[in-house]
Amino acid sequence: MTSSAPFHPSDGDPVPPSLRGFARVHADLVELHENPAHLVARHRAPGRRVGLVSGGGSGHEPMHAGFLGRGMLDAVAPGKVFASPHNRQILEASRKAAGPGGVIHVVKNYTGDRINFGIAAERLRLEGIEVRRVLVDDDLATDSADTATGRRGTGATVVVEKLLGAAADDGLGIDELAELGAAFAAASRSLAVASRAQTSMHTGRPAFELAEGELEYGVGIHGERAAKSIPRPSTEDLVDRMLDEVIAGLPAGPDEVVAVVNGLGGTTLLELYGLHDLVAGGLERRGFALAGALVGTFAPALDMAGFSITLTRMRPEWRTWWAAPAVTPAFPRTAPRTTAEETV
Amino acid sequence: MPATEADQESVLRRYAAAAEDAHAELTALDRHSGDGDFGDNLRGGLRAAVAAFERSGGPAFGVLGTVFLDEVGGTSGPLLGLLFTEIARALESGADAAAWAEGAAAGLAAIQRVGEAKVGDRTLVDALAPAVDALRAGGDDAFAAAARAAAEGAARTAELRARMGRASYVGDRVKGRPDPGAVGVALLFWALATAADPAADVPSPVPSL
Repeated sequence: MTSSAPFHPSDGDPVPPSLRGFARVHADLVELHENPAHLVARHRAPGRRVGLVSGGGSGHEPMHAGFLGRGMLDAVAPGKVFASPHNRQILEASRKAAGPGGVIHVVKNYTGDRINFGIAAERLRLEGIEVRRVLVDDDLATDSADTATGRRGTGATVVVEKLLGAAADDGLGIDELAELGAAFAAASRSLAVASRAQTSMHTGRPAFELAEGELEYGVGIHGERAAKSIPRPSTEDLVDRMLDEVIAGLPAGPDEVVAVVNGLGGTTLLELYGLHDLVAGGLERRGFALAGALVGTFAPALDMAGFSITLTRMRPEWRTWWAAPAVTPAFPRTAPRTTAEETV
Repeated sequence: MPATEADQESVLRRYAAAAEDAHAELTALDRHSGDGDFGDNLRGGLRAAVAAFERSGGPAFGVLGTVFLDEVGGTSGPLLGLLFTEIARALESGADAAAWAEGAAAGLAAIQRVGEAKVGDRTLVDALAPAVDALRAGGDDAFAAAARAAAEGAARTAELRARMGRASYVGDRVKGRPDPGAVGVALLFWALATAADPAADVPSPVPSL
């Protein structure tokens, strides 16, 4: 093993001990169930009638379990590293999360996730539980007419989960929420770059090699290479180029956005805040108002060195949902609990 | 006289026996186009289902569906679990061809909703859809007709290029041999026809390799 081998417990799959540690440190907010693995939020707003469930491969922490709690998700199903959860995990998570109005699945667009969430949804329907799906497919690098699979789901997931959670707290019904969720996702685009691959858990070395001075442009969050490598520009030029492309990919609408500067796991906050300064300035120069912003590591690819920029074009009526409190382990803006809180 | 009903326990046992017999061929077909685990998954799931049925005695296809949904690996295992579960629901009200048709049709619809595969995509849908049509057409010969239609549908996948799943990555290289999932579904309808009438004249859908 090289010195860069990750510090996982020596015994096989790193996910179960990580889930246990997460549940221990956030015991006031979440509850872990094993076999099949799923986590459930301990608190939900009294007005929420529809449960929100997400899930996907591990290696993207804090997504999704970090967004469990009042104002965001009710339950999550974490798969193995970079692998879709089993339908049983999603089924159990959904049974616990479902409200009187049913349950919504927030699914990132990957074939395995689509199929496993779909199987769980069929089983829930047989049990009489209403299910709708909100598909997140924001990654511009996979925006090609040639593939049937469509754009991947990446950094916009946190924006969709935040907005949808607040809307669910307002007591909206399942069809309204499904429509809104689709609108949030449709209004979002992302682009990611990397200067170093994530460390392979098997070899302790970078999962792929980049030539000196090259950058992976349009990289995904599962360690797959980007479609292209580019000579590395200055950081200012890089952000400008990414902003132009993300803005060009957005659907038409008001010039007001939420921006997410998301670290891919091996990028410091020192860098990410500096990147956000460039992003915010670049948006200003292009005439955009910033309705909200997130800076941090929300949807990484293990320890990949890189970042993504996500923009969500906001409608005026969405602003209050962005500003609403979220009491979760990882969403950065939290509010004190209220006495009206209901424990589930 | 042709059979008008098929008992689900008998279908399960015949299906399990057929999967034992076809294990080597299914494995070889899946190595050709996928990751080679389909023979193991189908045989292992049916073995587990027979064991669970013998423990619990519950409706055979209800047990079969739960085992495939909860325990069988790969993508096709849980998708087959949806089919078996829908059949189990339909059989609550009878065991004639109409009940089997209703269950198989509901299973086909569920699999297509989840898997997004159409006829012609070289998947198990290519065997299931014609079997559903044959069962729905009814008549004295419905079970045997469904078995023949499923076997023919599975055989036709040999000429198809995959659009879904892992087999889609290897393009035209999969052509020439049938899709293992389609053959696995055709085995179910072979088991159904022979359970309804042990003397039924239905061909095995398993190609000799």
